[in-house]
Amino acid sequence: MPVIEVADLVKEFSRPTRQEGRFAGLRTLLTREQTVKRAVDGVNFTVRQGEMVGYLGPNGAGKSTTIKMLTGILVPTSGTVTVAGATPWRDRSRNARRIGVVFGQRSQLWWDLPLRDSLWLISRLYDVPEARFRERQRQFSEVLDLGPFLDTPVRQLSLGQRMRGDLAAAMLYDPDILYLDEPTVGLDVIAKERIRTFVGELNRASGTTVVLTTHDLDDVEELCDRIILIDHGRVAYDGAVDELKTRYAPHRELVVQTDRLESVEGAEVVRREDGKVWLRFDPVRTPPAELVAAVLARHRVTDLSIVEPELESVIHRIYADRG
Amino acid sequence: MNAPTASATMTAPTSAKRPAGTLLRACLACARMEFRAALTYRTAYLSSFAMMLLQIWLLTVVWKALYDGRAEVDGLSLTTMTAYATLTTLQYQLVSPWRSSPIDQRVREGKVAVDLLRPVGFPAQMLSGQLGWASAAVPVLLVALPFALLIGAGRAPASAAAGFAYPVALIGALLVNQLLGLLLGMVSFWTLEVSGALMAYRFVAQFFSGALVPLWFMPGPVRAAAEWLPFQATAYTPAAVYLGRVEGLGIIAALGVQLAWICALGALAAFVWSRARRRVMSQGG
Repeated sequence: MPVIEVADLVKEFSRPTRQEGRFAGLRTLLTREQTVKRAVDGVNFTVRQGEMVGYLGPNGAGKSTTIKMLTGILVPTSGTVTVAGATPWRDRSRNARRIGVVFGQRSQLWWDLPLRDSLWLISRLYDVPEARFRERQRQFSEVLDLGPFLDTPVRQLSLGQRMRGDLAAAMLYDPDILYLDEPTVGLDVIAKERIRTFVGELNRASGTTVVLTTHDLDDVEELCDRIILIDHGRVAYDGAVDELKTRYAPHRELVVQTDRLESVEGAEVVRREDGKVWLRFDPVRTPPAELVAAVLARHRVTDLSIVEPELESVIHRIYADRG
Repeated sequence: MNAPTASATMTAPTSAKRPAGTLLRACLACARMEFRAALTYRTAYLSSFAMMLLQIWLLTVVWKALYDGRAEVDGLSLTTMTAYATLTTLQYQLVSPWRSSPIDQRVREGKVAVDLLRPVGFPAQMLSGQLGWASAAVPVLLVALPFALLIGAGRAPASAAAGFAYPVALIGALLVNQLLGLLLGMVSFWTLEVSGALMAYRFVAQFFSGALVPLWFMPGPVRAAAEWLPFQATAYTPAAVYLGRVEGLGIIAALGVQLAWICALGALAAFVWSRARRRVMSQGG
């Protein structure tokens, strides 16, 4: 059963048209002309309960705008969104209890107060019973290791600590759906890994549905089975991560450490460096085993490996193609 | 944790309304947080306190000089006048157009996005937070009051009735001020930038509230304008009640005017919010 249903979603922003020439600033202020920009242009998708979906796209593609409509912050120009049976922007209060939201760029914690106070206030806002609140706080202190900084004012926390605090805040009232908008932006490798482990565990243990936007495709590779790629406000791809790779990057590369290799049938030499040769091949036409056998038969090889395409380069290619 | 029950809870047609008790608890929690946040800036807090004591002392000196040895001007004694100045200065810590709304800043910084995610309505969050923030001034007032009496700048309430009516009038003043701030803050959903307008508003509001010059010293037309504007309810009304400038039925009438403003501004704020929520544009990322 789909828990999120999005149909023909459109969001337009209008702003006064920038005037040029003399007194441009003043005339911009007074003009009645409006420039309309379609940030989201007819998006459709559904998310099943318990799914972990990566919602990806280049900067300005309309990712965050979509998330803001899904969470009920923005009202769309047209189209419908149903989250767990409710329209988010019409039924804000009901929707609010079912979703947890983490914005990497913007904290929901109270800047001047200790993390502990923020969590307490959130428990009151979402009327979490006192006993449940204490239990959750204990759980999170353990899993996210909040203990050392529970009493530190949020403004003094490191980015990694703040993100862990934000995650705890978002999950404190047991929402069914978690939206993560660039949750690992600016974090170091260890902090990123910690966040991913937490989210993955949450999904496995509680069946929490996760919608993730990010520019770090390692997040997606590690967490999501499915991605929705949007570009210029439209869905460019919706499906499994593996399928995306086969469709947009059908080639594999065989890296061979060898003395001398001019060419091999069924593969193309794409790079040579430090006695290594990169051979690109299509695994459907040239089975990897055959290629390896062919190379080994004719050359003295000290090392060899097959390189899978990375999601990063796949997506990079898609963006480049669409220009 | 909640996997097996998740689908059941999601399809259940739960009501959007929450019991009033939990809403009150949530609002009180907001107020308490802002109260504590206000106290975290200790230097600012203590210096505002010192500034206030200085201002009370200066005002008594100035009014004494203005009275120039006369006991009364326009039938008004020097003690009443200095008590008025002290009272409005003290009240100003609690009820001031300068601390009327955090909304414009939250809109500019995109923090409204987070506020709108809460299950408690945005105006309720803002108002209760503001009341909590304002009440951080109460400890200051409790210390300043004896000081004012000590330097002869204060006076006991004019009558028992005035003593009882004063706190009511003060709460009324607080609400009128906060509703005005809420209304003005919500304008930033349309304009994004209200700091210029806010500055102008604050000067006008401060003047017409009677916090600088009491209404009884204002010339006819200005006084008439002040009486028809909501600002006098934020400073002049409680001070006039305390000092016995309005008595008996006059107190009831003054409180009635405050109540009328609270209802009118509350209704207007609800209407403006119903429009503003569709206009939310969240800044950044």
